[in-house]
Amino acid sequence: MVVMAETITDELLVGQFNRGDESAFDRIVEQHSGDVAALANRLLGWPGDVEDVTQDIFLAAYLGLKRFRCECSLKTWLFTITINKCRSYRYKRILRLRLFAATKASLTRPHAKVKTPTGSETFDRVRRAVAALPAKYREPVVLRYLQELPTDEISQIIGISKNALQVRLTRARRRLRQELAELIKEKL
Amino acid sequence: MTEDKIENLLQKTDQMAGGPASVSAKLSAVVRRRAHRRRIATFAAPFAVAAVIIIGLGVWSITTRTPKTTQDQEKLTSLEIQVKQLRARTDAALNLIQEVLEDERRQRRLDELEAQLASIPDPLEELQKQVDKTAFILVYQADRMYRELNQTNSAVEAYNRVIALFPQNRWAKVARQRLAEIENRKFNKTNSEGDSIWKPQNAQSSC
Repeated sequence: MVVMAETITDELLVGQFNRGDESAFDRIVEQHSGDVAALANRLLGWPGDVEDVTQDIFLAAYLGLKRFRCECSLKTWLFTITINKCRSYRYKRILRLRLFAATKASLTRPHAKVKTPTGSETFDRVRRAVAALPAKYREPVVLRYLQELPTDEISQIIGISKNALQVRLTRARRRLRQELAELIKEKL
Repeated sequence: MTEDKIENLLQKTDQMAGGPASVSAKLSAVVRRRAHRRRIATFAAPFAVAAVIIIGLGVWSITTRTPKTTQDQEKLTSLEIQVKQLRARTDAALNLIQEVLEDERRQRRLDELEAQLASIPDPLEELQKQVDKTAFILVYQADRMYRELNQTNSAVEAYNRVIALFPQNRWAKVARQRLAEIENRKFNKTNSEGDSIWKPQNAQSSC
């Protein structure tokens, strides 16, 4: 019921925007910017400042909103854009680091310079383990455990089947278990 | 069980990391401005590229004009010289051909004239023939007068005329022989009245 209402609201907003009402875009940004920024922050390894990426995401949404056919919710569509933008953002950052002949350590730890909010070792290790995951595993993990989205929506956002999603989640967990074995044992 | 632990760990880390820095309140305005700028760039880019290309071409043509013109002029001059040389050679060849043709024409005309000349009979021979013929006719008439008409005096006159007119001709000899025969006959007649009548044979054989 909530999803249906959300879809109707999305359709109305998109309709208004297509008719030339710019304020509809303001409302879309207002509604979804928080979620989009949070997802971008998590996908990029909690750098904190994701203003540029968020701007890029909403710019792409602004330019492509006329082509949006309301086959999914606006949030799902924006999350798809977010994932794509984060991928290209990470890719560009790696290229830039390679160009400036960065050390191997800085490549494997792309967020090393980002200040750690707590400074705890546990946080660092988990963050590093998540960041070290390949994009195809990191994205499902973030969407499932941090964004807490249902598998249907995740498979729609990433563009894979549910089975494939489950496989990726299992493999991602296995990797994290290997990386964070000590921490998990401590918990036990 | 492990999945829950991992989830807890991840969520705790996320909580510790905190949310993203607050998104600017003017985000939509910024996005709109950037979109506008991008549209302008998209629209203006082809024009800018075209302008740059045109300017570049202009600069290139200006910088490369002088040497190119010089090269062109040199090429043109050499081509003109070649054309002149070719024209001179052609003229010479044409002159030679005309001369050869003229020679051939002249030679042909000469041959024709020679043929015509060859066809023209020798006037001296013609004259000699005419003289011969006239002398023969005179001798023949004189023979007839003497033999058939018995006009001996007229015949003697005619023989004398032949001798007078054509002294070198062979008929002048014949005329002289006839006169001698007539004289002999006259002489014999006076001696013996019953001599046979003389029949001229040389005149018939010579005709």
